[in-house]
Order: sequence, then C-alpha cells, then structure tokens
Amino acid sequence: MGNTGDTGSDEYLVLMKNIVKIYPDGTIALRGVDFTLRRGEIHGLLGENGAGKTTLMKILAGILKPTSGTIYVVGKKVVFSAAADALKLGIGMVHQNLSLIPSFTVYENIVLGLPRKQLLNARENINKLMSLTGLRVPLDERVEVLPFGVKQKVEILKMLFRNVDVLILDEPTTNLTLTETRELFNMINELKKMGKSVVFITHKLREVMEVADRITVLRKGRVVGEVPRAEANLNLLAQLMVGRNMISATSRETTTAGEELLIVRDLWVLSDLGTWAVRGVSLTVRSGEILGIAGVEGNGQKELVEGLTGLRRVEKGEVIFRGRRINNLPPSELYKLGIAHIPEDRTLMGLILDFTVSENSILSIQRSTSFRGFLNTLVWGRVAEHALSLITKFNITAPSLSSPVKYLSGGNQQRLVVAREISKEPQLIIAAQPTRGLDISATEHIRSLLLDFRKRGKAVLLVSSDLEEILQLSDRVAVMYEGRFVGIKNVSELTEDKLGLMLGGVSD
Amino acid sequence: MRRKVLIEVLIKTGNVVAAMTVGLIIGGLIMQAYGYDALHAYYSLLRHAIGNPLTDPYPLTSTLSLATPLIFTGLAFAVSVRSGLFNIGVENAVYLGALGVVLASGFLKADTPLVLVIGSLMGLSLSILFALVAASLKVFRGVHEVITTIMLNWVAYWLVEYVRVNVFPDLRDPSKTIPVPPSARIPLLVAGTELSVSIIIAIIASLTTYFVLWYTVFGYELRATGINLIAAKYAGIKTSRFMIYSFLLSAVLGGLAGVCEVAGRPPHYSITTGISNLVGLGFDGIAVSLIGLNHPIAVIFASILIGALNSGVRGMQIEARVPFELVRLIQGVIVVSLAMPGVLSTFRKYLSIRRGRMEVVS
Repeated sequence: MGNTGDTGSDEYLVLMKNIVKIYPDGTIALRGVDFTLRRGEIHGLLGENGAGKTTLMKILAGILKPTSGTIYVVGKKVVFSAAADALKLGIGMVHQNLSLIPSFTVYENIVLGLPRKQLLNARENINKLMSLTGLRVPLDERVEVLPFGVKQKVEILKMLFRNVDVLILDEPTTNLTLTETRELFNMINELKKMGKSVVFITHKLREVMEVADRITVLRKGRVVGEVPRAEANLNLLAQLMVGRNMISATSRETTTAGEELLIVRDLWVLSDLGTWAVRGVSLTVRSGEILGIAGVEGNGQKELVEGLTGLRRVEKGEVIFRGRRINNLPPSELYKLGIAHIPEDRTLMGLILDFTVSENSILSIQRSTSFRGFLNTLVWGRVAEHALSLITKFNITAPSLSSPVKYLSGGNQQRLVVAREISKEPQLIIAAQPTRGLDISATEHIRSLLLDFRKRGKAVLLVSSDLEEILQLSDRVAVMYEGRFVGIKNVSELTEDKLGLMLGGVSD
Repeated sequence: MRRKVLIEVLIKTGNVVAAMTVGLIIGGLIMQAYGYDALHAYYSLLRHAIGNPLTDPYPLTSTLSLATPLIFTGLAFAVSVRSGLFNIGVENAVYLGALGVVLASGFLKADTPLVLVIGSLMGLSLSILFALVAASLKVFRGVHEVITTIMLNWVAYWLVEYVRVNVFPDLRDPSKTIPVPPSARIPLLVAGTELSVSIIIAIIASLTTYFVLWYTVFGYELRATGINLIAAKYAGIKTSRFMIYSFLLSAVLGGLAGVCEVAGRPPHYSITTGISNLVGLGFDGIAVSLIGLNHPIAVIFASILIGALNSGVRGMQIEARVPFELVRLIQGVIVVSLAMPGVLSTFRKYLSIRRGRMEVVS
C-alpha cells in the first residue's frame, strides 16, 4: 500500500474513482463512475432500474468486486475481498431483502457472528445504542413475528452495533408504511447528527429531496448529475433520471380501440410480506390496444400481474373480463376464457428448464384435447407437431425438440414462451417484462409480435420497467408507484419530464 | 434422436459401472487391511450372486427374488422424487401391505385365494391411510414429509409387532405370525427356489409407472409439479392435489412390496420377529431409486444389482470367511458409491435452483 495510493485529501470519507463493473454474462452495469461521500452527509443515490445504484454500493460494501477503478477510504486506497473487509473500515449496507434469521431473537440476530469478547456487555451496549439513536426494538422477540419496518430497524441497529461510519440503505422505504418512513427519516437525521454518513439509494424523487444533502443521479451505468439539495428540484431530477431523446416517433399503426375486454375496479392485492402491494388499482383494456404499465420495479406490478392471472389472491376489488367476473379464478379457467400470460421470469415460471422443448411447448395447455388421446394419454406426435410449428413460425433456434430448454439461449427461451402464449389464440395477453435481458434482435422480434397481436384486434396489458418499450408499444400508459397508478395517459400526451416525475411518484 | 437416447443410457450405465468399481476397490482395500483375501471374497460374491445358472439356478434366482421387493420400493421412492417429495414412508407402506395379508389370513381362516385378494386390498388400504396422514399434514399444514413419515414408520412398526405378538402369532412358532394359507400364496416362478411370480408383477409395475409418468397428462403434471412448483402453478396445475396423488402411488407400490414378501416368499409366508423380513426394504428403495436416477426402468436394473449384492455377500461369509460385520460394512461402501452419481445429480439440481434464486435476489 504505502502512500502511493493516497489522494492527499481528507475532504471525503469515501472516494470512488472511475468504477467499472462488467458482470460475467457481459452486462455492463457501471461505465466509469465517480462517487464521493463526506463525513456526516446524507447522500441520495437516484436512478431507475438497472441504472447501477445497487451495484455501485455493493462494490463499496465489499460484496462485489469492481472490474476496474479504485476506492479510497479516508484518503487511503483500499481493496475489499469480502463484505467483512468493508465492515472493518466502518462501511455497512442494509439490503432490500433483509438478511436476518427469522427464528432467532432480535438480540441473537444483532450479535450473530461477533467475537466472544464483544458479547460480555452486548445487551447493555445495545440498550445504550437504542436510546442514543431512538431506534427501539424488542430485543427478546423472535424476528419472524415482527413487521417489516421493525425488522429493518433491527438490521440497521445490527450495522450500527458494528460501529459503521457509513450506512448504505438500499431502497429502504419500499415496504414501509408512511409512519415508518417518517421514523426512518428521523433516524437518518439522528445518525447525521452523530457524525455518521448515510447513502440512501432510491428512485423516489420526493423522498430524496426531503432527506438528502447531496444527490447523485445514475443512468445506465453513468453519473448524469450531482446536485446539492439546495439546487435540486423535482423536474430537474426527473429529467436527469429518465434522460432526453427517449420518446421517439413510433411507427405504430393506428387501430381503433374496440370493446372493453378487461375492466379492473379498485383492486387490492397483498405482497409476500403481508403488506398491501396493490392499493386500489383501476384500469380498462380495450381490444385493439396495448395498455402499458410503467414504473420502477417493486411498486406492486408483480403482484398486480399475479392477481390478474390467478396466481395471487385478490383481496378486494373486481376483475371483469368480457363481462364476466373473474376474481380469483384458477389460472386454468382464465386460460380457457382467453387470457394468456407471459410471466416476468421465464426461467422460474414461464418454462420448466429441465423439460424438453416439446414438453414446454404445451405448458399450461397440456390438457387441451388436441394433444390428448385415449385415457388421457399424451400423444407426443401431436405435441411434436405443435412444437415444430411454433419453432418454424416464430424463428426459434433449438438443438432439437427433445433437448431441455435450459440449453436454449435466453432469447429463444422467451420466443418459445411468447409463441406458446400467442398460439393459444387468446383475446388478451398479460405480458410482464417481456424483453428483459434479451439481445436487440430478440427484443425487436418479441415487440413486433405483440404489435402484430394488437393489430389483429386483440389486447395486451404490458407491464415493463423499460420506458423505451412502454413508449414504443403502448397506446395508453399508466405509471405505477407504491401500489397505485399515478395516472393513465395517452402516449401522445406524454413528455419525458412528465413521465420522469410520475416514475418518481409525483403526479401533476 | 434414438441414437442420442442410446448414448445417454450408455453414459449413465458407465457412471454406475465406474461407481461400482470404486466401491469394490475401497471395499477390497478394507478387507485386505483386515487380513482377508479380497479377490477370493469377490469371487465368492459373484458365485453366490450369479453362479452358473445352467447347473445351479439357486444363486441367480435368489438374486432376482431379493430384487423383487426393491423394484417396488425403488419405484415408490422414484415416483415421490419425481413429484418433488422425499417420501420415507415407503417403509411403513411395506409393513402395512404385509400386515393386510396377515390379517386376512387370520380373520378368514380359510385356505382360499380370496385371502390374497382381500389381504392385498386391506394392506393397500392401510398403507394409503397412513400416506394420507402425511399427505394432508404436508398439503394443509406444511409439515415436512420426512418428519411425518419417519414417525409414521414407527407407528406402523409397533402396530405390526402388536399384531404379530398378540393377535395372530403362529402358535407352533411364536416368533412369526400365522402363515398365509397355501392356496393364497403367490406361485413360484422356478420350483424349488425363492423366485415367485411377484417379479413379473414388479416389472409390470415398472413399465406402467414409466408409461404413466411420460405418456399421460397426469404424468406430465406430476413431473412438472416435482421440477418447478411455480411453473406448475402457472400452468394451471393443482399442485397440492398432485402431491397427494404421489403419496398415494408410493403407498400402493410400497404396499405391494409388503404383500409380495409375505404372500410370495418361501419358506415363512409370514411376518417374522421384529418384522426382520421386511425392515429396511423401504430404505433400500431409496438407494435403488438413486442408483437408477429415479427412472422406473432403470430401477429394475438397480434392484437386480442390489439383489445380487445381498445374495452374494452370503458367499463372502461362507467361503471367504469374512465376518458378518465386515461384510455389512463393505456392502454399505458399495451401495454408497453406487448411489453417488444419483446423489450428486440430485444435489447439483438443488444447488442450481438455490443459485438461481440467489441471482434473482441480487
């Protein structure tokens, strides 16, 4: 080490220079990012999905290794090989998915992994820390019975107990109620008074404006702005986050929207954590149109889709499809009525990776009479015909019909899912993140298939966090934020500023 | 396409042969270390497992008859794995299937084939009843099937022991239950040996299981449930229902093993003290299923392999004078090595699922 790596400046507690991160699969997450953090500063890190916020902070926390670039802590160059190294220098991160052991008590979770010496007065010290920061948690309660907001406090306390100077919070308000969010912000301000630094990762404009001293905006792996709060305003941040030149003139043919196929009124759906993920969403989808639902992931889109496709209970509200109430019908019934579903995760839900191409070509239509023979036998000859016709019609490249789909490329896997769903001849396709992680040609192909489907007078409910996709395909766009629609607008009325504000949770 | 399947079969067989060789070498080294002649021991193992079938049918038929119950229990376990369950309750299904036949023999007190029919029905009903307990706890309360089935195994064990001691003991030889009446016994395939028609029933069961799993909508949905629960739900499959079906199928197959052991194996045709003629058949089915990579057809061959080992180790004791404890040890080493490819592939699958989830999270 020596002095060669020193920056000679004590102005910053943390200085990250020219950080590049390329994932093993070739995805470029960060393209040369600089980031600074002062002592006692609350630093907001703002950006959309895939902007690189979390990757950047995971590098600072020692969880990921940068492909290139250097990190200085208090002026000294450091190289982390594990999260423990960063923790030793006082850098700790609280993840979106908390890493607590549910069956352990709060106390056990906080002291987990600490050396014996520190356990002697641990309880006393934790109590002191709690009164100092105002973070009160029940030490002897098992973690699994606590609400999410309290679990998060436990995780923060766990970090503070390890004497961190830099606390990184990754989208901490995602699962919090309004009061809990308020408490969190108070706590962050307390920490600031104690001289700690906090990095606050978020996509929520109002929150970052409220709590941060300085805001760095990331877009597609680059820093596109760094503004002190005094100079920031909602419009500026929205613009930075979303970027210019995004709305291009689309070459969609106009179709006349027809009858109202799907009507959703005041829909309420719970998340896995038992909190409300969808809070009173209403929408209609007409035949011959694509309704796009934009929004940063984690704002209830997943639960909305699962609620509409029979995979998650609808607690309140009404779902009406072609005049029939379809609340909580099982997926098999919905398919029969003419709803197809392209799920957001093809490897976990849309396909069975160990099944062959043939077998996957009938997933969800396996009971169709066209493949069934005497005594419910599967007639593989007819299945193979079906699979082959999908492959030729939709240009799918596969080694053979009998090879497991795990050997297909991501693009071909997704083509297979889309092909299968279109082959059901549905009236409505609910498509979630249909082109995520695909290369350009597969992306274009799938988008053109959806547009073609619309042209035939059918309807698509498109859920995507890719704004370009939303704008390219949709006739009308709704933006989802914290389980609600911020607004539904015709695509022609949208400007990027407006869209950026809506994504950040600001309606007109 | 055909050729590809053939190559795959060859590779998998090669794996088994390689694993077997490794097991034999380790076993041999252990024997040498204890001062026994490993080559002589293995030679006598082979003689007692196969021998020369033309001059003496006994070794080979003994191998096949020992393989018969393992085909059933191996199938039972394979079906449960295919549907994503780890059903250890095959063991109690064996006990209960056998118990049914003994109960029928005791209650009817008649020398008629009806005893076998009614006995089988009673035995299978009992094993289904036990399986339903585990299945409902799994589906409705989320209790893990390993826990419930292990406990149910003991319930069944003591239930059978109670009947053997207190209800239908053989008065001439109280260490056994009353024997199955002669006309209700499953006929022998080769006279003067232990090989009965049961093996044909077992092979038919294998072929049927194979057909059901790969050539019916039911099998498709069962396998989908086993590989990917989320995708199965997406496909509109009622996954809890298929878990229950899987429990029932395993119970029937395991129960058949018990029926065939009691009604088809000379000389006892009964349940012996401590259920010693049945204990472990269900657990050996797990090994058989793993060796056969949970494939119904491969399970037949895996059972014969284990049957040969069980039959041949007698020779190791008699001819090479290897003590019983060491024989059991070597048997264990060989079975463990044989099961390794299956364990590894199952484990790899599990790991890849885990890893997949981790990636999704990060």
